[in-house]
Amino acid sequence: MSALTFDAVRKTFGTAVALEGLSIDVEQGELISLLGPSGCGKTTALRIAAGFERADSGTVQVRGNDITKVPPHKRNMGMVFQSYSLFPNLTVEANVEYGLRTRGIPRHQRHERVAEMLALVELTTMATRYAHQLSGGQQQRVALARALAIQPEVLLLDEPLSALDAKVRTTLRDEIRRIQTSVGITTLFVTHDQEEALAISDRICVMSQGRIEQLGTPTEVYRHPTTAFVARFVGTMNELPAEVTGGNEVAVLGTRLSAPKADAFAQGTRVKLLVRPEDLTISESGLAGTVTSVTFQGASTLVGVRLDVLDRLVSVDVGQGAADHLTIGDRVGVGVNGTHAVCEAAE
Amino acid sequence: MSTWRARLGRLFPTLVLIASALFFLLPVLSSARFALQKVPMVLLNWSNVFDGWSLRTLSQPFKEDNFWPTLSLSLKLAGGTVALTLGLLVPTALFVHLRLPKARAFVEFLTVLPYVVPPIALVAGVAAFFRPNARWYLNSEYALVPLYVVMALPFTYRSIDAGIKAIDVRTLVDASRSLGAGWVTTFRRALFPNLMSSLVSSSFLTATVVLGEFTMANTLAKRTFPTFLYEYYGLKAQSGTALALMTLIGTTALLGIFTLFTRRRGARVPTRF
Repeated sequence: MSALTFDAVRKTFGTAVALEGLSIDVEQGELISLLGPSGCGKTTALRIAAGFERADSGTVQVRGNDITKVPPHKRNMGMVFQSYSLFPNLTVEANVEYGLRTRGIPRHQRHERVAEMLALVELTTMATRYAHQLSGGQQQRVALARALAIQPEVLLLDEPLSALDAKVRTTLRDEIRRIQTSVGITTLFVTHDQEEALAISDRICVMSQGRIEQLGTPTEVYRHPTTAFVARFVGTMNELPAEVTGGNEVAVLGTRLSAPKADAFAQGTRVKLLVRPEDLTISESGLAGTVTSVTFQGASTLVGVRLDVLDRLVSVDVGQGAADHLTIGDRVGVGVNGTHAVCEAAE
Repeated sequence: MSTWRARLGRLFPTLVLIASALFFLLPVLSSARFALQKVPMVLLNWSNVFDGWSLRTLSQPFKEDNFWPTLSLSLKLAGGTVALTLGLLVPTALFVHLRLPKARAFVEFLTVLPYVVPPIALVAGVAAFFRPNARWYLNSEYALVPLYVVMALPFTYRSIDAGIKAIDVRTLVDASRSLGAGWVTTFRRALFPNLMSSLVSSSFLTATVVLGEFTMANTLAKRTFPTFLYEYYGLKAQSGTALALMTLIGTTALLGIFTLFTRRRGARVPTRF
């Protein structure tokens, strides 16, 4: 039995459809990210799970129990919000204690639980501080401790890292994952940051216009995107003109290569081949072009190449050291590996 | 030339401040001289600024039979108006912020309407409507409370609205509800302490309006403090001015105390919860 289930959930705001037939099963202890651009319905889905919005149709279930009409304060779900949500009039420990008090937990148990939660988020020394005396990252850690203190059945995270600077975001992201794994809590994580989703999730649910585009592991979503939208939204994609030559084969500027799902198109159909930078290689042969940029990214280097035949810029991700000899203006060849490419009908 | 201009630019705010202070203080000082100096008014001039000062006139109003009853009624009216104002406006403002954000502009427009309708027109309309239909209401000494709520609306709603805007009320409500608190607990533990300063300001503004309102009370023949002040001034101008002066100083002192209170604690009032 799934820990959390969305079953054909539909939600509209006026004439705008926010969710259309959303169905997801989240397993016990699993972290699923709802990933998509603004307005795709991911936050609406989370707010429906929390009870802040009511679905027009469909149901939300926790361990098989229908909670669609249960008010938020009776759902036993912990939530961390995008904006800082600590109660400004309360200290850190009183914030963490808040949910325990509303549940009428005895004082000594409350104090034990608060101490345990503050230790979990490594903020024991901040117990007597107020929200305005904490950094953004610390505030979100307290919010996480507060959400976990009530031992919720599901943890809901609504873009909890988006207000933080890049370095804190990465640290806290890893910390959320560590805590989630150690507590073993079922978690729904909303984000528009694909890097965040890829790093933290057991599975990613990519959404667009209220529908699920793809639900799969980070590797599946990144390496085997099922739609052009997912391919474009998750990671970077190069777009090359191609023609389906039959079966799962396409011809890209005269070079034949295999491309999964090309057989969805009739032979001779002109398509766009979406290829990741790491599936392009710098080689002696291949499509001729001129290097326009060389961007060192630490573990790899991103090389921009303007192809002669297309007058188009493509990005090539090469391994550490492999681009050391390249400079802007060099003539190079670009090889294409179509194994993970996605075909999209040309306009 | 530019140095001269820069110096003038720096001095200008100070000059404006001094001019404003004189504009407000000179009439008060003149009233104080009239009320507290034992010098006939026609003889008051710069040469006798420091002559004949006495606090005797300050104590006289307290001996009047009508002073305490009228002050008591005005304080009761102020308390009732504050209670009704907060009872009506806090839920309304929260509802508008949480559920009807698009209606905010309309509600703000409604709250400024009392600026447009003169008090005399309002009270005349109310009297004309209730006299034949519910005379008991007009006869009640608390008949003024709803009218004062309307009169104070432009000040009080803005104060409460500003307090709500300052605390991201939606997130606090959602956070509290997700932690298992119902609406009452959410208001008591999460919202009320954080809205305290704006509620105090709003209450103070309401009380100030009530303690200074004359037109409506006089038209409905209610014996409130401002009507007593008016009548008393007609009988004993010097003591009446002294009383008005005391009222002004008292109100200003209260305003100062509340300003200090709210500035020191800001929108965040630490509580034990």
